[in-house]
Amino acid sequence: MATKSAKPLRLTALHLENWRNFTLVDVDLQQRVFLVGPNAAGKSNLLDACRFLHDLVAVGGGFKEAVVKRGGVSKLRSLAARRYPDIAIRVKIGSDENPAAWTYEVSFAQDNRQRAFIKRERVTKAGVTIISRPDDKDDADPERLTQTYLEQVNANLEFRAVSDFLKTIRYLHIVPQLIREPDRSVGKINDPYGGDFLEQIARTTEKTQKARLRRIGDALKVAVPQLADLALWRDEIKGTPHLRGKYDHWRPQGAWQTEEQFSDGTLRLIGLLWAILDGTGPLLLEEPELSLHPEVVRFLPQMFARIQSRTGRQILTSTHSTDLLRDDGIGFDEVILLRPSAEGTTVSTAYDRSEVKALLDSGLSMADVVIPLTRPAHAEQLSLFGG
Amino acid sequence: MKPMAPFPVVFSAAVEGPTDEVVLRRVVESRGAVLGPVFGKTGKSNLLNQLHRYNRAANLSPWIVLLDLDQDAGCAPSARAAWLTTLAPQMCFRIAVRAVESWLLADRESLAAFLSISGSLIPATPESLSNPKETLVNLARRSRRRTLREEMTPRPGSGRPIGPAYTSRLIEFAQTQWRPDVASHHSDSLRRFCSRITELIGNQA
Repeated sequence: MATKSAKPLRLTALHLENWRNFTLVDVDLQQRVFLVGPNAAGKSNLLDACRFLHDLVAVGGGFKEAVVKRGGVSKLRSLAARRYPDIAIRVKIGSDENPAAWTYEVSFAQDNRQRAFIKRERVTKAGVTIISRPDDKDDADPERLTQTYLEQVNANLEFRAVSDFLKTIRYLHIVPQLIREPDRSVGKINDPYGGDFLEQIARTTEKTQKARLRRIGDALKVAVPQLADLALWRDEIKGTPHLRGKYDHWRPQGAWQTEEQFSDGTLRLIGLLWAILDGTGPLLLEEPELSLHPEVVRFLPQMFARIQSRTGRQILTSTHSTDLLRDDGIGFDEVILLRPSAEGTTVSTAYDRSEVKALLDSGLSMADVVIPLTRPAHAEQLSLFGG
Repeated sequence: MKPMAPFPVVFSAAVEGPTDEVVLRRVVESRGAVLGPVFGKTGKSNLLNQLHRYNRAANLSPWIVLLDLDQDAGCAPSARAAWLTTLAPQMCFRIAVRAVESWLLADRESLAAFLSISGSLIPATPESLSNPKETLVNLARRSRRRTLREEMTPRPGSGRPIGPAYTSRLIEFAQTQWRPDVASHHSDSLRRFCSRITELIGNQA
């Protein structure tokens, strides 16, 4: 019998204070998470908190860079923040068996020259504090508080596992037009919008690349039955990589098309499937349902589940899709509801709210309960725009 | 004139969910017919709401509507009488006792192989089960394969009776390994369903 492989670490809980449009968030995260809420409720902002942690440790990243990239502390701080204006992010990292193997916490504010500085940084391992800042050295030299220990190899030795884990977080929101016109994003590396997507595929070893494209090609046939083959080739003059697909039609040989001719849905699905196969860390997805047929969307949660039972990879995704939420296998604790209020958006799992729990227990589908709950208050007013 | 090749009868259908569609397709194909467009797939209550519309469509072409009996009535005939009083001439309205899972359970040998469990664990009379879905989940719990257990059985705290990829695994089984002919020997409702389809095909000829 095969031995049980150790599942990778995942984010097991997220705590935010004054982060963008959230005053306070305290939520457990399962291996698969669906974020549901009206437009501008902060689904992307919640995912961005995870990206922020990734940016702390990314190549060319770091605390200062991560804050500046987001427009500075004043842009990051919740408008509803009042008495305790520090921005704080705390995550638990672990597994089902040991959900709090690690915790990492950082809080920060800005000085009177609008520079971000760290108010607090704390790491625990199995409940024991390893790092707690500000420490004596920080008191002696306040300049040190412009960098986290997390991002410094000299300082993070005892919790390198946390830093290595956060590096594996990946965010994806494929914009098909950027794949078709890579010139728009020249020089970007691991662009979440797909600008260097074809380069990413080309960078993998030939064996892996072929195996993955074959798997993706097989899966794609479900959504795009006329697609017979999928391959990568390089333009011999410019050296740029291109995807091409062979389409069956009345000519016996079929016809090859490149990514420029692929439909939006095909490109998004290729991007999604590639991202799922590429990497092991938490994958953050923005509305994977975009441009896809509802019958395809409906099977996304099942596909995620099957990938996860093999690899243990965490997938966090925002969605507006009734079809996606219709899946009976989605656990009540896997759905996170975002509801805007005057005091910032409130966040809870579907099961934490008694009115939601009552409806779900009565047998209504997740879609039937959650979509009406998170609908904008006056959606019908939009029709009046037409005059 | 050359005699035309007999082309197969195409059924339209409406079902509760994606698993039912696959099961239905296998059954219809085993009778030599073809399953055309499949409607519904958004749960039982929606299907019941549309039932009389599908029935009206069955005045013109052959239709199948497949529903789970669940705990809604004591037996299929009384549920049938309550849900749809007059059947259109080309309507095949079928109720699986108690759920379509019992038809899958009726092919014990294939299911045991698929789930990696001993065949003796699978009940011999699937139609007598009060909740075949629960039975299937509990059988998956005994699977020798970790991935199957994780995918088909619910995680504590999920609040669901089934696991995250239960549907997908069931579809995989129905599509690749389930034998409708074998199963119909052990399930009365499936056997009668098959003969009704054969009868409708005969009417088309």
